[in-house]
Amino acid sequence: MTTVKPILLAEDNPRDAELALAAMEEHHIADKVVVCHDGAEVLDYLYCRGVFASRQQGNPVVVFLDLKMPKVDGLEVLKTIKNDVNLKPIPVVMLTSSREERDLAQSYALGANAYVVKPVEFHQFITAVKELGVFWGVINEPPPEGSDPNE
Amino acid sequence: MESVTQEHPSTPVSIHSEPVPDSSPAPPPKTGWLMEWFTHWSIERRVLAGFGLVFACIVVISVISYRNTAVLIENSLLDTKSHELLQLLDSIGEALGAAESGHRRYLVTGDESYLTSYRTVVERMPEYLRYLRGLTNEGVEQRDRVETLERLIARQLGAEADAITQREKLGYEGVRHLALSGAAKNELEGIHGLMTELDSAEQRAIHARVTQSAGSTNNTVALLGLGALLQLVLLGSVYFLIHHDVTERRRVAAELQSRGELLEASNKELEAFSYSVSHDLRAPLRHIDGYAALLSKVAGETLNDKARRYLQTISDSAKQMGQLIDDLLVFSRMGRQDMLRTTVNLDQLVKTVLHDLRLDLQGRTISWTMHPLPNVSGDPAMLRQVFINLISNALKFTATRPETKIEIGAVMRNSVEAEVFVRDNGVGFDMQYVDKLFGVFQRLHRNDEFEGTGIGLANVRRIIHRHGGRTWAKGALDQGATFYFSLPLARSLR
Repeated sequence: MTTVKPILLAEDNPRDAELALAAMEEHHIADKVVVCHDGAEVLDYLYCRGVFASRQQGNPVVVFLDLKMPKVDGLEVLKTIKNDVNLKPIPVVMLTSSREERDLAQSYALGANAYVVKPVEFHQFITAVKELGVFWGVINEPPPEGSDPNE
Repeated sequence: MESVTQEHPSTPVSIHSEPVPDSSPAPPPKTGWLMEWFTHWSIERRVLAGFGLVFACIVVISVISYRNTAVLIENSLLDTKSHELLQLLDSIGEALGAAESGHRRYLVTGDESYLTSYRTVVERMPEYLRYLRGLTNEGVEQRDRVETLERLIARQLGAEADAITQREKLGYEGVRHLALSGAAKNELEGIHGLMTELDSAEQRAIHARVTQSAGSTNNTVALLGLGALLQLVLLGSVYFLIHHDVTERRRVAAELQSRGELLEASNKELEAFSYSVSHDLRAPLRHIDGYAALLSKVAGETLNDKARRYLQTISDSAKQMGQLIDDLLVFSRMGRQDMLRTTVNLDQLVKTVLHDLRLDLQGRTISWTMHPLPNVSGDPAMLRQVFINLISNALKFTATRPETKIEIGAVMRNSVEAEVFVRDNGVGFDMQYVDKLFGVFQRLHRNDEFEGTGIGLANVRRIIHRHGGRTWAKGALDQGATFYFSLPLARSLR
């Protein structure tokens, strides 16, 4: 797979973002990662507006979404993605500290593709992020660009 | 820190404790003691007492009114008799008068047709007198008078009969003196006098009865009035008491509701709090562990053993705190989460738990003794947590043994609940600390002996309590421990 499609990481906490990048670096997929620091930025990226107005067209291969973010929170972003015909095919992985049943239920109800609780232990965290990155960014076959089965 | 689930006997349980009269030093005010005594009654007793009083009053008033009315009825019957007697006396007097004047005319003229009245009187008199006796059942005096009257009438009639016989024999001249004065002049006078006496005695009796009737009527009216008033007062008081009690109950209900709302609000707050803990408190821990790991990776080569050990300790502490937060969150969730009630197959549940714990079982020599377990009624996820905690505990405290023995079984003491136990041959515990076992953050071992957060058994107790069961434990130092819990049996087994 030589796709240049990026992995979108929505993480408001810069330390978490750095740790996640450190984890992905071990598998040399860190350069594919685009980090957004809040929900609004994620939406800007997806809709190619604001600071991302001039970015290369195309959806990310996967979105890692934190639940609690400033401005627009993870669930709202998820809702927007899954309600948009063009964005709907993007796999969305919730990557969060929350183990609350309510968050799990709501995320899946809104169409999340996976839900991962960030482990406290760094090695577990690194393993989780690495595996996620490799699976969604490399192994998983992304949906064809601009495809809509209803068209 | 005290356990959350343990009771606190020192804290006052009842906020609404009523003042006990015996313990109050000042005697209650004299005027209010009856009311105070009364207010100590339950509402049922008060209402019963009120209605009892009303009922007793109604009974007393009814009895007296009944007796008064009976007197009135009797008097009116007696009055009827008295009036009949008076009429009869008039009739007798009239008849006797008519007979006597007819008799005298006969004596003068000898014309037998003048004797019609006399003959009627002779014929009717026994009947009249019987009737008269029947009407004088009241009073000895009147009866005596009637007897005398009977004798006099008999004598009068006898004298008149003699006069008729003489008239027939001797003619007018023979009875001339009788014709002038009357054949039975003396008797007739006596009869009139007696009849007047009878008459006036009866009039007096009537008058007396009228007075009595009027008195008892007034009495009845007054009593009925008093009764009505009394009943009104009592009904009013009963109403007041019920109203008072109902108002009190409404107030208590309103208070309960507001407390319930407060409780709900604080529960929501707690939920928000634990949510925040779960999300926000774990992040810095992750960072501590993460950066410590990154540091040891980047600078590991240049660090000496001591520095590496420090870094390891930072990591370990962060991990431990992460575990603590996770356990606390589970504990909190078990307390507020809605509970399911289904039939749980404990045999199956234990099998899945052992499967989940397979990583912990690796490299251990364990001899399992599994007795059949019953089906119970409860929440499968919560009960799974109970077995995870108890079996993990058993595994943890037997880690130092060359051969671990774990026994799981159940005892059915009755048809309602089962007692399940998990026994191990581990380090055990001193029975003097048995009360601390199930408390939150209560630990009987140092962390360097056995790791743990002190929440596992507290969680077991919380879950079992929510199922309506009990938890207890038996053990001895170095001789293993047995943890018991009771659970309601599934309905089909009862």
